[in-house]
Amino acid sequence: MTTRRRFALGLGVIVVPLVLALLGPLLTGEPGPRATSFTLGGGHWLGTDFVGRDVWQQVLLGGRTVVVTALAATALAYLVAVPVALMSALTRVRWLEELLMRPLDVLLAVPSLLLILLVASVLAPGAVGLALLVALVNVPDAARIVRAAAGEAAARPAVEALRMQGESRWRIAVGYVGRSALRTLAADAGIRLTGVLYLVSTAAFLGVGVAPDAADWAVMVDRNRTGLFVQPWAVVVPALLIVALTTGTNLLFDAALEKNQTDKRGRRP
Amino acid sequence: MSDVTDSVAEIRDLRVEIDGRAIVDGVRLRVLPGKVTALVGASGSGKTTTGLALLGEYPPGARVTGEVRRTAHGTVGSDGPVGYVPQHPAAVLNPARRVSALLDDIARPQVRHLPRAQRRTTARALVLRALSDAQLPDAEALLRRYPHQLSGGQQQRVVLAQALLLGARVIVADEPTTGQDALTKSRVVEQLKAVAARGIAIVLLSHDLDVVRALADEVLVMRAGRVVESGPVERLWTAPRHEWTRRLLDEQRAVPQGGADVGSGRPVLEVRDLTAVHDRRTAVLHAPRLALHAGECLAVVGRSGSGKTTLARCLAGLHRDHDGEILLDGAPLPRSLRRRGRAQLAAVQYVFQDARAAFDEHRPVLHQVARTAVRLRGAEERAATDEASATLHRLGLPEALAHRRPGELSGGELQRAALARALLAHPRVLICDEVTSGLDTVTRRGILDVLAGLVGEAEDLSLVLITHDLDTARLAHRIAVLDTGELVEQGPAQRVLTEPRHPFTVSLMETTERLEAGTRT
Amino acid sequence: MSGLRSFVARRLLLGALQTVAVVLLVFALTEALPGDAAVALAGDQPDPARIAAIREAMDLDRPAYERLAGWATGLLHGDLGTSLTSGRPVAHYIADGFGPTLLLATLTLALLVPIGFGLGVLAARHEGRLVDRLVSSVTLAVYAVPEFALGVLLVTVLAIKLAWLPPTALGYGTDLLAHPAALVLPVLVLLSRPVCSLSRLVRAGMVDALASPYAAHARRYGVPGARVRYTHALPNALAPAVQQLARTVDWLLCGVIVVEALFVIPGLGTVLLNAVAERDVPVVQGLAVVFGVLTVVLNLGADLVAHRLTPRAGVAA
Repeated sequence: MTTRRRFALGLGVIVVPLVLALLGPLLTGEPGPRATSFTLGGGHWLGTDFVGRDVWQQVLLGGRTVVVTALAATALAYLVAVPVALMSALTRVRWLEELLMRPLDVLLAVPSLLLILLVASVLAPGAVGLALLVALVNVPDAARIVRAAAGEAAARPAVEALRMQGESRWRIAVGYVGRSALRTLAADAGIRLTGVLYLVSTAAFLGVGVAPDAADWAVMVDRNRTGLFVQPWAVVVPALLIVALTTGTNLLFDAALEKNQTDKRGRRP
Repeated sequence: MSDVTDSVAEIRDLRVEIDGRAIVDGVRLRVLPGKVTALVGASGSGKTTTGLALLGEYPPGARVTGEVRRTAHGTVGSDGPVGYVPQHPAAVLNPARRVSALLDDIARPQVRHLPRAQRRTTARALVLRALSDAQLPDAEALLRRYPHQLSGGQQQRVVLAQALLLGARVIVADEPTTGQDALTKSRVVEQLKAVAARGIAIVLLSHDLDVVRALADEVLVMRAGRVVESGPVERLWTAPRHEWTRRLLDEQRAVPQGGADVGSGRPVLEVRDLTAVHDRRTAVLHAPRLALHAGECLAVVGRSGSGKTTLARCLAGLHRDHDGEILLDGAPLPRSLRRRGRAQLAAVQYVFQDARAAFDEHRPVLHQVARTAVRLRGAEERAATDEASATLHRLGLPEALAHRRPGELSGGELQRAALARALLAHPRVLICDEVTSGLDTVTRRGILDVLAGLVGEAEDLSLVLITHDLDTARLAHRIAVLDTGELVEQGPAQRVLTEPRHPFTVSLMETTERLEAGTRT
Repeated sequence: MSGLRSFVARRLLLGALQTVAVVLLVFALTEALPGDAAVALAGDQPDPARIAAIREAMDLDRPAYERLAGWATGLLHGDLGTSLTSGRPVAHYIADGFGPTLLLATLTLALLVPIGFGLGVLAARHEGRLVDRLVSSVTLAVYAVPEFALGVLLVTVLAIKLAWLPPTALGYGTDLLAHPAALVLPVLVLLSRPVCSLSRLVRAGMVDALASPYAAHARRYGVPGARVRYTHALPNALAPAVQQLARTVDWLLCGVIVVEALFVIPGLGTVLLNAVAERDVPVVQGLAVVFGVLTVVLNLGADLVAHRLTPRAGVAA
């Protein structure tokens, strides 16, 4: 499959869940009266859910939290990881480098979902708390990857040449090392966003960071499972949307990354 | 056609085209057993493509016409195996396999006809013989190692052993001496000579004319994909017919001699009791006293690993772990670059060995060069760019190229830009670390001319040339020789080159001379 | 080989530090409880007797460092504490849930390695052709899908529409081996992500290795294709794959928790989720320590194996 076609495929897969997630809440009208649980028909296009709400309306409402939480968590993770990684790549003070990176190595050993459940058992975090938690578990890995790319750039003679020219630390760090690590960062961002989407939705499925009757695709899958035999749509539709969202993100970033690489290869004389 | 059967390989009217552009055109080549055929030319002249054609390999997407014939053990028709020793032998040795496995892979098909019980021992015997033929002693220990545990020379010989084990009648050696010091070079020459003596034909691809002179029987001079001249090495050297050959040889020979002795009075840069360490422990360099006078050019000569680069980096403030003092105009320089003020930074500038790696690949060269004037001399952006442009032009880099990014410039062009970048600081001392190694003869000559120009031109600019190459060292007024971290000899260039005192300098001189004179057995 | 020994020593030290960190982290979380921990944990029924019981069970009257010391020494002796809700030792909970989880993990790992490597090698052998494009696209797509979403979809189709397999393991208790049909879907779902990631890694490593100068050199000298593939290229693809196998532990753990919840399997994941729901902190802590230490140990093992496979460069410890 050509890169262009893969890109198109990714776009095609992600467009439905993304549009529903971002525009859905604008399209819903007033919530109607509650009907009987798990019914099909009766004016409800996709039937009703476990407490008798209209499934279609819940679907329209339920994507935004997943997408927004995931994007916020990814951004937040980089906000911490990138400065730490750049600083540790550029410092010549050995203990500072160790101080910055070693604690992250240690944190890397704790399974991500375990940490989230552990915190959930004592704190019962909301959506913001979940975003913070997911960002936190992503910081060590993100920092390690950015650190490796930045370290490679920082070890090049170009950095010494810049120092020889009397350039400031800031300009070297951001203008050269940071910029050189940008490609790796872009590649990592796609993988990370996919992973974050996974964690956010799985946590919601397990009831972390969400109200038990929240309008959230993952929560819908969990709560409506009991009616799977009578009213499968209340489970299948949100599950399919989550599959499309995660798969589409992954396909899209993978195609974009490959395109980027071929562009780079083609340019060298 | 009797002589056709004599040759072990032959190329006729080879033309290799990529995207409609011919990179090799109309090449004819006959390879005779026991003889060394050299293809010489600047990089991009098509010699590697021609050499690989003997192996039946072409660049991806190439359109090939012409004929390549290889003969197995004198019989026409079936293709005989051709060995290959690439420029970087480590690249063709699988990092995850031991040397024994790498050789066993090749021995295995040769013992297949034997009964199963004998295969192992026979294969082993073949492997051991190949190793001894490739002059690799202590085979038992060697076989157990992984490629990364071998030295560069050993890796090269293992690759050679593979070719011998294969029963290759022709071995293509691609730049086997590039970037090596004189002693290593002469060992490689001996090695290949021994191989040729066994009746194996060698095709040498090289831009190192000393090595070609020492080894080759026949030489083909290539330029832009065509063979411009060919003939026996003696004839070519004494009476080159083609203009290009003459230029190539001239550039090799005529290295400008450094001017008369200069430098008296107070030195610009002085080193006192310098001991540099790596990893806080291992002392790698000891230099009790070294002085550089105004307008003087000092060459620091030594093999790789002798500590000469460390010395240069100490001077430039790039290597902080050292004792002793470095004085600029009598005042001590801080060890770390960060502690040096603008004026001190500007006074001592450094040019890196790998020019490509020393530039930011994202920004245009001109802009990067101009930054020196902006940062170190406080020049206006506009004035700095004008000065950078003028300096680049003076060093032979056209305006159009200067606006490009480093990725679009050649190695030689980038090295000129790197020199310009350092010169824009108006330095008192310019340190050049192996700036010509890895460049082909023509390009190297160009850079050396620029350096020679710098020495004569500016009265107060002093140069430190770090080099393993005595040709480059001839540019200098004075030479300092380093061996395993010790400063073993220093003195006027003329004296060191003609009557070296220290045994190490003597051996360095001898091997260089032997290569240059093309001593033949 | 002092290099190897120092690498092992450094890696072991890091492993030990990680273990200590996990224990400290788990302990610190209870300290993060807002206000009076006992009141917070009593939750919906702030009955004074229950609060007192919690205070008693968790020794909340003693200073934090004493409790940490007591808890840590307990851990060293295998004493993981007692449950707040039932008063049973945490070790009993773990013993109960251990069987089903171990069964799931063993089955998954046993299938993961051959399937992952097999698909990777298959795709690499047919690089650029239909088989490769198929394997690559499917693994790329499935790789990202959360287990619960994939799980419910499979259940809907295979268990409910087609009625080939039981939708959950409800009613089978811990003796799952007697009902192999109930294990098919859980293992399939659990395998989905690790198989994709492993096979993609093996494929990429093999494709790289097959395109390398040393593979070209081997072919040039007449080494047969199969030999180049399996003795030259595969070993070089192995090290990153083994590393990934260790990272997979994290995923398997997430997966186990989700899959047990989805298919109602009474394993450690279910125990953990129940404890989280009941805010039974000692049980959560005990399980977290067990899971955490297990992860540290498995990562350590994989790093050491990977280091052995790449003698060239030390894997960053």
